[in-house]
Amino acid sequence: MIQEKMIEELVRQVMQSMQSPAAASASCPAPAKECKLDPKKDYPLASKRPELLKSPTGKKLSDITLEKVLNGDVKAEDVRITPETLRMQAEIADGVGRVQFGNNLRRAAELTAIPDQRILEIYNALRPYRSSKQELLDIAEEMESKYGAKINAAFVREAAGVYERRGRLKAE
Amino acid sequence: MKRSKRFEVLAARPVNQDGFVVDWPEVGLIAMNSPNDPVPSIKIMNGKVVELDGKQRDDFDFIDQFIADYAIDVNVAEKAMAMDDYAIAKMLVDVNVSRDEVVKVARGLTPAKLVAVFNTMNVVEMMMAVQKMRARKTPSNQCHVTNLQDNPVQIAADAAEAALRGFDEMETTVGVVRYAPFNALSLQVGGQVGRGGVLIQCALEEATELLLGMRGITAYAETISVYGTENVFVDGDDTPWSKGFLASAYASRGLKMRFTSGTGSEVQMGYAEGKSMLYLEIRCIMVTKGAGVQGLQNGSISCIGVPGAVPGGIRAVLAENLCTTMLDLEVASGNDQTFSHSDMRRTARLLMQMLPGTDFITSGYSATPNYDNMFAGSNVDAEDFDDFNIIQRDLMIDGGLRPVSEEEVVAVRNKAARALQAVFRELGFPAITDEEVEAATYAHGSKDMPPRNVVEDLKAAEEMMQRGITGIDIVKALAKNGFVDIAENVLNMLKQRISGDYLHTSAILDKDFNVVSAVNNCNDYAGPGTGYRLSKERWNEISNISRAIKPSDFDV
Repeated sequence: MIQEKMIEELVRQVMQSMQSPAAASASCPAPAKECKLDPKKDYPLASKRPELLKSPTGKKLSDITLEKVLNGDVKAEDVRITPETLRMQAEIADGVGRVQFGNNLRRAAELTAIPDQRILEIYNALRPYRSSKQELLDIAEEMESKYGAKINAAFVREAAGVYERRGRLKAE
Repeated sequence: MKRSKRFEVLAARPVNQDGFVVDWPEVGLIAMNSPNDPVPSIKIMNGKVVELDGKQRDDFDFIDQFIADYAIDVNVAEKAMAMDDYAIAKMLVDVNVSRDEVVKVARGLTPAKLVAVFNTMNVVEMMMAVQKMRARKTPSNQCHVTNLQDNPVQIAADAAEAALRGFDEMETTVGVVRYAPFNALSLQVGGQVGRGGVLIQCALEEATELLLGMRGITAYAETISVYGTENVFVDGDDTPWSKGFLASAYASRGLKMRFTSGTGSEVQMGYAEGKSMLYLEIRCIMVTKGAGVQGLQNGSISCIGVPGAVPGGIRAVLAENLCTTMLDLEVASGNDQTFSHSDMRRTARLLMQMLPGTDFITSGYSATPNYDNMFAGSNVDAEDFDDFNIIQRDLMIDGGLRPVSEEEVVAVRNKAARALQAVFRELGFPAITDEEVEAATYAHGSKDMPPRNVVEDLKAAEEMMQRGITGIDIVKALAKNGFVDIAENVLNMLKQRISGDYLHTSAILDKDFNVVSAVNNCNDYAGPGTGYRLSKERWNEISNISRAIKPSDFDV
C-alpha cells in the first residue's frame, strides 16, 4: 500500500516539476520516500488521509460497512492493521517527538506477519526462566529468516544476552 | 486510665480504622526521599550510558540496563542532569515554560534525579505541574464494571449506564476466571449502547488478555504490569524485554495498550531493596517509556494501602502521576482501589488528580456498588456519583462525569440488557430471561439480580473461545436482531484497528468515533485563560442539576 502511494507521490511530483520545477522542489525537496507524514495535517489518518489506509486483505475503510459484514464480504481478517499503516503511525509518532513509541510501532509492523498463536508462544518464551540461550537465539533466527522481523530479532538476541548475564535463563 | 469522652469519639471515627506505619527505610516503607535512594549521576561513553545513579554498567540489573539503553536520551542527558533540582521543579510550575520544554529536559533525567526534583515540591506545585504536563488537553475518566456473580446482564446494563454518565473507558475483570469471555462481551455490547466510541478492556493474565483483544472482543489493554526491582519483576513472571515484546504484539494487532505499575508493589512483594517507593516507581515509568508504550496506569493502584499508611504517601502517589506526564506518557491516575474508611481521606486523595485533571482521573471509578467491585473496591463507587457531580459543580472542574436522569438511565440499561439477550440467543449461549432483563434494568447491584446457571455459563464461555467467536460475530448477532445502531457502533470500534489512530498517546474516541489524543488535542496550558477550559455547553451540563431549585418553581 505504501509503495503504491509512494509511486503516486512520485508521479505527482514529476508532473508538478514539469509544470513548475521551483514549486515542486519547495513543497517536497527530498525523494518521495522522505516525505514524512505531518501530525498536524495528516492525523488522524482515518479522517485526513483515508486514501492511505487499507486492511491486510486490500479493503478500504469505506468498504467496511454493516451491509458487507452481513452478506459475508467483510470478515474478522478484514479488521486488522497492516505493517504499512503501523509505519505511517510511527512517522506520526516521530513527528511529535515520541521516538520510543515510534520504534514500538515499527517493531509491531514486523510482528503483523507472525500468527497469533506464535506471538503468544514467543511472548511466553521471553518470560524469565522459560528458555535457554540457544532457544532464544533460535527464535530470533526464525523471526529474521521466516518473517523478516529484523528489529525484533535483535531485541530477542539482546534479551538472550541480558538473561544470561542476570541468570534468568532456563535451568539446564 | 480514665478515658476522655473526646478521645472515645475520635477513636470511633472511620479514619481510626485505617492502618498507619512509621517510616522504615530499610525495608522500603518510605514514600520518597529515602536515605538509601541513590545519588543522581550519569556517565556516557561512545553514546552509551556507562554509569546510572552511581552504578557502573557491569553492575546494572536488567531494569537499569533497559532504562539506560531505551529510556534516556544520551544527547541531552549530561546537560539535563547538570541542572539544579530546584531549577527543574520551577520549570514544572512556571506557566511561562511550555510543556514541550519540560518534556525535552525530562528525556535526559535518571530515576534518582527525577526523585530529587519531586522532593523539592509540595502537592499544590505538583498539581500545577500536572495541569500543564498532562498529555491530552481534555481530561477524562475510566470506570470499572464488574460484579460478584460475573452476571453478564448486569455488566451490560452497568456498562450502558456508565457510558451515559460520561466514562470514556471501561474495565472489567472476573470473579471466576473462566467467565472472562462473557464479561468482555457483555461490556463491549453494553458500553456501545450507552454511547458509541467507549473503549473497553478485560483485566486478565497477560496472554489471555491479548487473545481477547486479537479476537476483537476488547478494544485495549491495561493490565500489563511492570515493577521497580528485578526480583519483583521476575516474581511477576516477566522482564522488560518480555513486556516490551508484548507491547509491540498489541500494536501489531491494532490494539491500544498501556502498562500498569504503582508505588508500594515492591514493598508488598518483599523486594524493595531499601529504596523509596517513588524511586522504584520511577524506574517502572522509565521502563514503560523505554518499551515505547504510549501510556501508564499508575498512582499506586492495587497497593494504595502501602503509600497510604506512610507519612507523605499520597504526595508520592501524586508525584508518580506527575512523573508519567513529564515523560510524555498518557496517565490513568489510580484512585481505583478502596483506600480509606474515611470519606474525608478518600476525597482528599481523589482531589490530587481531579483538580488538575489527568488523562483518566480514576483508572477505575467503580460504576457498581463497592461490594460488586472485583478489583477489591474502588476509591469512588456508584454510591458517590452525585457527590462527584456536585464537586465538579462546586469547583467548576471537569472530572469527566455528568448528571443524568433516572428515565434515561433506566432506558439505556434496559436496551443494553435486551441487546445482550439477543446476542446470547443468536450465538446459542444460555438464555437471558425477560426476568433478568427486567432485574438488570432496575438493579443497583448483584444482590438485585436473579442467579444464573454458572456451570452452563462457564461451559458456553469456554465454547465461545473454542469456536473462535470474534467482534464481527457480535456485529452480526446485533444487526440480525434489530440492534442495528449498536451493531454499527461495535463495527466502528473494530474499524479503529485498521487505521491505528487510537494507538497514539492518550487516545479516546468521541461519540462520532473521532480520535481525540495527545496528537490532535495537545495540552497547551500556559496559565490562566489557556489549556482546557469548560465550554459553555459542558458547564451547563455540569451545573444544571435537577435538584437545584429555580425561582420559577415558586409561586410568590
